[in-house]
Parts: sequence; C-alpha cells; structure tokens
Amino acid sequence: MGVGVVFTGFFGMMGLLLMSFPIAVIMVVLGVIGGVLLYGWPLLNSMGPVIWGVQNENILTAVPLFILLGELLLRSGIADRMYGALAIWLNRLPGGLLHTNIGCCSLFAATSGSSVATAATVGTVALPNLKRRGYGSRQALGSLAAGGTLGILIPPSVNLLIYGSLANESIGQLFIAGIIPGIALTLLFMVYIASESYFIPASDGEEEAKVPLAMKLAALKHLVPPAIIFAVVMGSIYFGIATPTESAALGVVVALAFAAREGKLSLEFFDNCFRQTAKTTGMILLIITAAFMLNVTLALGGIAQTMTAWVASFGLAPWALLMALIVFYLFLGMFMDVLSMQVLTIPVALPIVTAVGIDPIWFGIFIVLMCELGMITPPVGMNLYVVQGVRTDGGPFRDVVLGAIPYALIMVLFTILLIFVPQIVTWLPETMSGR
Amino acid sequence: ETYQLKALGQPVATGLIQKNVEQPFFENFAEKTGIDATVDYKPLDVTGIKDTEQLRILKAGLFDIVSLRMSQVSRDEPTILGLDLVGLNPDYDTGRKTVAAFQDKVDAQLQAKFNTKLLGVWPFGPQVLFCEPEIAQLSDLKGKKVRVYDQNLANFVSSVGGTPVPIGFPDVHQSLARGVVDCAITGPSSANSAGWPEVTNYMLPVAFQLALNGYGINLDTWNKLSEEDQAKLEAGFDTLVEDIWTYSEELFDDAVRCNIGEEPCETVKKYDLKLVEISAADKDIIGNAVTEISFPTWAEVCDKQNASCSADWKAAIDAALTQ
Amino acid sequence: MEHFAAFAARLFGVALVALSIFVSIETVARKLFNFSFEGADELGGYVLAIGSSLAFVVALVDRAHIRIDVLHARFPKRLQAVMDWLSIVSIAGLGLFILYVGRIVIVDTLAYGSTAPTPWATPLIWPQAAWYAALCLFALASIYMAVRATVHVINGRLDQVTAEFHPKGAIEELQEEMEDLGRR
Ligand code: NA
Ligand code: NA
Repeated sequence: MGVGVVFTGFFGMMGLLLMSFPIAVIMVVLGVIGGVLLYGWPLLNSMGPVIWGVQNENILTAVPLFILLGELLLRSGIADRMYGALAIWLNRLPGGLLHTNIGCCSLFAATSGSSVATAATVGTVALPNLKRRGYGSRQALGSLAAGGTLGILIPPSVNLLIYGSLANESIGQLFIAGIIPGIALTLLFMVYIASESYFIPASDGEEEAKVPLAMKLAALKHLVPPAIIFAVVMGSIYFGIATPTESAALGVVVALAFAAREGKLSLEFFDNCFRQTAKTTGMILLIITAAFMLNVTLALGGIAQTMTAWVASFGLAPWALLMALIVFYLFLGMFMDVLSMQVLTIPVALPIVTAVGIDPIWFGIFIVLMCELGMITPPVGMNLYVVQGVRTDGGPFRDVVLGAIPYALIMVLFTILLIFVPQIVTWLPETMSGR
Repeated sequence: ETYQLKALGQPVATGLIQKNVEQPFFENFAEKTGIDATVDYKPLDVTGIKDTEQLRILKAGLFDIVSLRMSQVSRDEPTILGLDLVGLNPDYDTGRKTVAAFQDKVDAQLQAKFNTKLLGVWPFGPQVLFCEPEIAQLSDLKGKKVRVYDQNLANFVSSVGGTPVPIGFPDVHQSLARGVVDCAITGPSSANSAGWPEVTNYMLPVAFQLALNGYGINLDTWNKLSEEDQAKLEAGFDTLVEDIWTYSEELFDDAVRCNIGEEPCETVKKYDLKLVEISAADKDIIGNAVTEISFPTWAEVCDKQNASCSADWKAAIDAALTQ
Repeated sequence: MEHFAAFAARLFGVALVALSIFVSIETVARKLFNFSFEGADELGGYVLAIGSSLAFVVALVDRAHIRIDVLHARFPKRLQAVMDWLSIVSIAGLGLFILYVGRIVIVDTLAYGSTAPTPWATPLIWPQAAWYAALCLFALASIYMAVRATVHVINGRLDQVTAEFHPKGAIEELQEEMEDLGRR
C-alpha cells in the first residue's frame, strides 16, 4: 500500500468528517470497507471479538469512573467553592483574579477530566467578579479558555487513559508523567499573566483589598476535599497500592463521602451525575471501539509501516520530526474535535516516532499538549465556544480567540522546551519505578 | 501458483524468540519450507487484537496461521491447559515428553471445534520466582504477596501460604519497587529485560510452568495445499518448533547466568541476584502440585467441555512418564 | 425514548457506584489484610462492557455522538436537514452492523462453552448475553430514530428533522450546565 492511498484515505475521511457525519460511523465504515477490500469477508467475522475485547477491557473501566468522580465533585458544589477560596489566596499577585482562574482550573483539573464543565463552572463564577473589578475582557476570557485545557494534562486524565490503551503503555506511568508538565504549564501561564499585568498595567483590574489571615485560613477548608481526592487517586498510583482503575474507584468512594457530608445525596443529584456520566461515556467508548476496529484494518494494511518508511525517507532528526508533528497537529486541531484527532492519529504516529527513538510515555504527554492546543484554536475549539457561551456581555467571539492566542503560543513554546529537555516529562516516572 | 498466506505472530514485546526465530521463519517462508508461498506476517501487538480471541480469529479465517498463546486461548478450549499444568513440566525434557504425549488430543479438539490444525507446540521457557526479601525455599512464601499471571498459578501460590496478586506485566517492576508485591513469577529473560533484578534480590529457578505456545493453521488453508506441500509444511514447522525448543533452552540458561552475574552472559544485562538452590522438599512440593492442586481444578472445568478430557490426559501422561 | 435513556443512565450509574465500593474494599483489604476477592478487575471489565453499551443509547438520545458541525452550521437549511437525516440513518446502520458481528461472538461462546480464565471461572455467556442485549437496545433505539427521521423527510418536514437530529453544539451543552449551576 502506497503513501498516496493513505493520504487519499485520510483526506476522504476529513471530507466526510466536515460533512458532519458521525465520527464513529466514519471510522467503522472506513475500517470495514478497507479491511474487506484488503482481506475479504473473514475480516467481518473477526470484528465481533474485537468489539468485545475493547468493551471488556478493565483498563478502560477507569474512563467512566473518572468521569463520574468529576461529576460528583462538580454537582455537589465542592468545586464551586474552590474558586472563592483560591481567589482569596491568589488575589494580590500581579494579575490578581486571573491567577485564580488558572489556579482554579488546574486544581479542578486535578480531580476531573471534563473541560466543558470546568470552564462553565469557573467561568460563571469568575466572569461577573472580573467584570466588576474592571479586568479587560480579552485577558479574562483567554485565561479561562486556556486554564480549562489543563484538565487533560494534569492527572487523572481521560485523554492520557485513552492514549495508554491505544499505545499499550502503563497508565500509571503516564499519569505520573503528566504531573510536572502540568504544574510547569500552570506556572508558565501565571508568569505570563503577572508580566502582562506588570508591563501593560491597563489590562489589570483594581487593586484587591487585603484579606485578614484568619479568613484566609478559614477559606482553606474548601480546598481540602479536592486535595484529599487528588492525594488518594495519585498517591495510590504513585505508591503502587492501586491500579489506575482501582484508584478511580477509591476516588469515587471518597467523593461520595464528601458529597454526603455536604448533604447533597438526593435522587435528583444522582440522576444528574449518572446521566452526564452515561452520556460522556457512551460518546467516548463508541469512538474508542470504532478506533480499534479501524486499527485492525490499518495494521493489516501495514499503514503504520508505510508511513514510518515514508517519514524515515526524509531522514529527519527527531527534533525536526517533532516540529513537523507540531505543525501537523496544530492544523488538524483547528478542524477536528480533539478526542477524534487523538484516536485517529496515535496508531500511525506512535510507530513513526518510536522508530526514531522517542520515548512512548513522553509522546503521550506531547499528544495531550497538542490536544490542549486544539481546544483553544479556532474554528473548532471546544473551550473557545464554552467561554464565549458563559459571558453575559454579548461581546464578539474574536475577544476569546485573541485572548487565547498568547496561551496557545506558550503551549507551543512549552512543547518545544519538552522536545529539548525531555526529562521534564520522564524524570518523575523513571524515579517512581526505581530506575 | 504462489500461495499468499497471512500469519499472526507473537507480540513484539515478548522478545528474542519472536525476533530471532519466528519472524525470520515467516519472512523467509518459501526458503524454509520449500513451498512456493509468500507470507504476510503481523505481530499480535501491532494489530490491537486480544490474545484471548486468537482461536476465534483463526476460525474466522482472517489469518491462515496463528502463533497461539496457549494459556490465553484456553478460555475457549480448556483442553489446551492440560499441556502446561502448574508443576507438570519442571524442566525442558519433561516438557517435551508432555507435549509429545498430549499434543494429539489438543489437535483433535482444535480440528473439531475451531477448524484448526495444530502444527507444533513450543515453550517461552520455565517461569521462575523472583523475590525482594530473602527466601530459601517455597515455604518461605508464606505471608508474602506474589505476582501471578494466571489462575492455575494463583491456586498454587495460595497452597503454599502466599497471597496471589494478579498484576499486568508492565506494572510489576514498580509494584516490586514499592513493595506492593514481595515476589513475582515470570521467565528469567523477560524479568531481565523488564529490569526486575534492579528491584529484587533472590531468584529461585524452580519451573512452575513452561509458558507454551503453538502454531495453528486454518483447515481450509491446509486442505487447499497439495499432499506434497502439506508434508513440506509439516516438516518446515517441525524444524521451526525444534529450533525454538533449543533456542529457548539456550536463552533460559544464558538469562539465568546473566541474572546471577556469571559468564558467559550474551543475551541480556548482567545483574547480581542470589541464586536459591532448589531443595528436595521444593521438588516434592512442585511435583505434588499437579495431583493435589492443578489437575483437580482443571479437570473439573475441562470435563464440562470435553467429556473425556481428564481421562485422556491421565492415560497420555501416565504412558509418557512411565516410558 | 427519554424514559428509557433515563433508566439506562440510572442502571449504569448504580453499577459504577457498586463497582467502586467493591473495588475499594478489595484494594484496602489487599493492602491491609493481605486478602483478595480475586475478581474485582474481572467484574470491572463486565461492568464496562454492559454499561458502555447502555451508555451508547444515552449518548444517542442526548445527541452526544460526536459530529463536526463547523461547516454544517453554514450549510443551507435543506442540506443541513439532509445531513442530519443521513447521520441518524448511518448510526442505525452501525447499530445493525454491531448486532450482526456481535451475534457471532455469542454463537461461538455458546458453542465453546467458554469460561473466563479467572478465579471465578465465570461462564462467559452470562456477561456477554447482557452485553449483547444492551447492544440490541442501542440498535433498536437508533432504528426507531432513523425511521422517525425518514418519515419526517418523506412528509417534507425538513425543519422537524433539523430540530430533532441536528448535532448538539457546545453552546447547547453549556446551557444545560448553566441550568444545573443555578440549582446548586
Ligand atoms: Na485531570
Ligand atoms: Na481547535
């Protein structure tokens, strides 16, 4: 199979995607038609075991559990209160409440995977405050859109789980690998906010009033539940007590206990959490199942080998290859939903990069950063839509896009930094496994 | 005309046997067998197909030849497990005898139920014990947590007083490092490649199982071959399987030497594990495991699917071992 | 349809909570008392197989199966409706396809009497029968919706097709989030 056929297939698929056909259907149709052409009707009879194999995969059980965990925290109001607590603590940094946006998003991120819910919650609480205190709307909207993407880098992360299951890599190692880059990117965002506020004071809001220490300490209690959940989930993985699926289950039980303490455990509460979890799980699992079906055909057709050989023929150095991939993903991320982008490209991209000696755990973090980027690049950028939807001033979409651009640039520069200093990703997982 | 065959191989991740023997055989199939055929060879982990589904995939005809992982595919055909019950094959020689004696029964089941003919059976090699805390014999496993990879082994570990913990291979290194498990069982070569000697101190080279695999061919494909080609194919696979038995034993001996820091050490990294001598008592424990633990549990499951399963096994193994 | 999705979501949620409790007990017991039920991961796999198939239905009813709507929103109204109709028909096709290939799994499992290679030695047909039943529900739900859309098309009610089957964008999802936010 030649490179030409691969590209024809790829662009044909992009065409169907943009026509708005359901992505799972496109993947199955391509997988089945391509597979039957290549391998005849036996392929069809082999699809059943493939479907059962994916849906019965214990590792993927962590996906609905982490989604449920996030829903429980969100809908019990635990997450909402974090914003207030963080605002009190981060207020007086140069850039004020904008830090709270980023900080709150990342703390949120540490316990949940859903970026729509994160941005919606934080945005709704934050925007009126920001407006009242005179922050520029571009800065405020940008920090919310970018902050919301941190959820898929800082573990637990459904996107890292999906990468691990497609790439056959340890989910635990991937989660651990996400911690330092997640914190580093959060800090970079905050440094950017502080320096913008320092050099362009007009963008900054009013000086915040000083909050008495007693009140500051009292506010800390709202940070306790998310901190404990993060400690339980990541601690049990780090110390090897639990597999990621088990750690998700522990997280759910602890979150239930907190929700019970809040007196939230009503039938309506559960109904709401369960409905959201089922909806998101159904969406994600159908795409993953379809991806595995397509993957069989890709493998049998030797697509990955073809592409690996083709890319190798350019003789690129690893850093140059990764730069090219950044451009590729930046482009793809403009037009594709990031989950689809992930499942469609990993089976082909991973063999290409491992062939030049790039660590697969490192590449998982790279892919997730590219997904984060895709969430804030127009025209298809989930977080841009969401933040635009939360605002009440009726301003143009352009504000959100412009506000997000500096953060997108930071993400690209950060990814380039990771290319040249891969230890930022690999050090912690290697230390953990005793290497 | 030239036959076009499709083969599903061992996962690349399983190491040297796949890389140095299996893949070269399929890539030079015409030369190795003398049959005018080209083979499209795909390692299992490249396809995303689960090993437990191999027999169904083979029956569906997606591949003509599949490198079957016996323990995993026994889900659909428990008779297969009779080849490698815990304690049955303490060394390579016994393993060869067991396979020779029981292979035909397995083949008959595969032909009847999966439209598949068995072309040969071969071992990854003895699965042995690695421990972080000091152990001198099997009875020291009492109260310790031991990583196991299947049910048969879990029953055995429980019987000597240990707690079996099923953990996926990629997570074992970390679990040993963090003390989640005290001991773990696998082949010495895989253990070495995964860096287990960095986080353990003792190796007890008693063979719990041989980790058997086999080549199955779809009967439709087989029947399309002329009788002459069928004979060539069988001869080709006999040679391949024999090569693997020999190579497997070389790898095992070499990996044991590497793990304990002895020369010559050629295939894997050198470490300095302490080698625990196998005591006479341990040999008895392992020997008795068949009659006391692994056979009774297996017989119950197997006889449900294949009425003469355990009777056939007894007859075949008794005959082989009294020779 | 809505009642059914609500029921499926509840069933799924209760199963997840029960699984979480079971797995947590197992994990703690293993760490503290060296004791294990030796089946938590097996149970997790079955909950996912059955639960995610039910979740397919919920996502279907909530129009959450991903479609890229960047161009769709700019299509002329008639073309939008045609794409919405084709999309739901294609999902029904997917549902039928999964039923067809899933049937082979069930038939084989029955023929082989397959048993999970685990401590529980679960006869595989139990979880697989429930899994297949859930997939049947997904197929039935998608066929029902496809027929409904087709009837609208035949009767020329294209705007009705758009109203019921257009891809749900982030904005709509957000409105639901805001409503929930108001309640807590
Ligand atoms: Na997260
Ligand atoms: Na985008």
